[in-house]
Amino acid sequence: MGAVDKKSVLVVVRRSPYGSSLARASLDVALAAAAFEQPLRLLFMGDGVLQLLAKQESEAIGVKNIGRLLTSLPLYDIERVYVDAAAATRYGIDLSNAPVTTQALDGPGIHQLMTDCDHVLGF
Amino acid sequence: MTVILHTLNTSPGSAGFTDCLRVIAAGDALLLMGDGVYGAIADTAAGATLQASGAEIYVLTADTAAAGVSNLIKGANHVDMDGFVALTERFPRQQAWY
Amino acid sequence: MLCTNAFDQEGFLRKLSDWEPQVAEQIARAEGLELTCAHWEILHLLRDYYREYDASPAMRPLVKYCALQLGADKGRSIYLMSLFPGSPAKLGSKIAGLPKPDNCL
Repeated sequence: MGAVDKKSVLVVVRRSPYGSSLARASLDVALAAAAFEQPLRLLFMGDGVLQLLAKQESEAIGVKNIGRLLTSLPLYDIERVYVDAAAATRYGIDLSNAPVTTQALDGPGIHQLMTDCDHVLGF
Repeated sequence: MTVILHTLNTSPGSAGFTDCLRVIAAGDALLLMGDGVYGAIADTAAGATLQASGAEIYVLTADTAAAGVSNLIKGANHVDMDGFVALTERFPRQQAWY
Repeated sequence: MLCTNAFDQEGFLRKLSDWEPQVAEQIARAEGLELTCAHWEILHLLRDYYREYDASPAMRPLVKYCALQLGADKGRSIYLMSLFPGSPAKLGSKIAGLPKPDNCL
């Protein structure tokens, strides 16, 4: 990364989509940063991978649909999206059907990702 | 080389602990605070796993005292709030597991 | 005409289902705008965006969405600014009866 680059930010999302307001809050931070053209990467880790389940229908509980919000990430130019491979496997999540295209990482891969970014924002 | 400062404030049974362990590596530091201090109890699976990560382990002194584990902890450096601040100055990036 | 308590303090419609073309006209008038076909095209697009993503867009995704749906000529912030001066994402969402975009200052 050259000195002229903007600071790169990694947002780490570790919360299930509807168990608390933290999932939504972490995505709002990511979208706000992206709207201001900060280079942003997103990592779904631990329970955060549950946000990647296809066919969420949160209208049934009167809450905004996180799955559908995730499909808008490319419009925010958030293209670098990563997922904790072990967590996805643990929950049996079919990443090929996820609302957003992700790159799977193992533990050392996640460590490297964090090291590559200037700032890490964990939720 | 200093890489990432991790802070962990949930117990070894938590998702925070599991996720933290997945990432942490030699060159990192881990500061245990709140319920996180239970992870540093000697001769437990959690304590052994943390030691095996190769990271420098720190515990917040006041929280270990409150939990009653001050004398049970091995292989960790005790820091107070000033020590915590010093750690944040040493590491360029920080990940909070909670 | 909807009465004032159908709107929040900033003039955004409280209930998505209260919206109809006459309501858009009413909101636009209050904002000093006369709606043309070009406006309506963007308003319908904003409604589509909300249906698809369950969120009102910030400026950047709105521009990109316009480019994808309507072509590069209309997918430009200057074009949207000419229709909805100031903050197109915010003003457009308001007239389209959507909630205020989260990431709009």
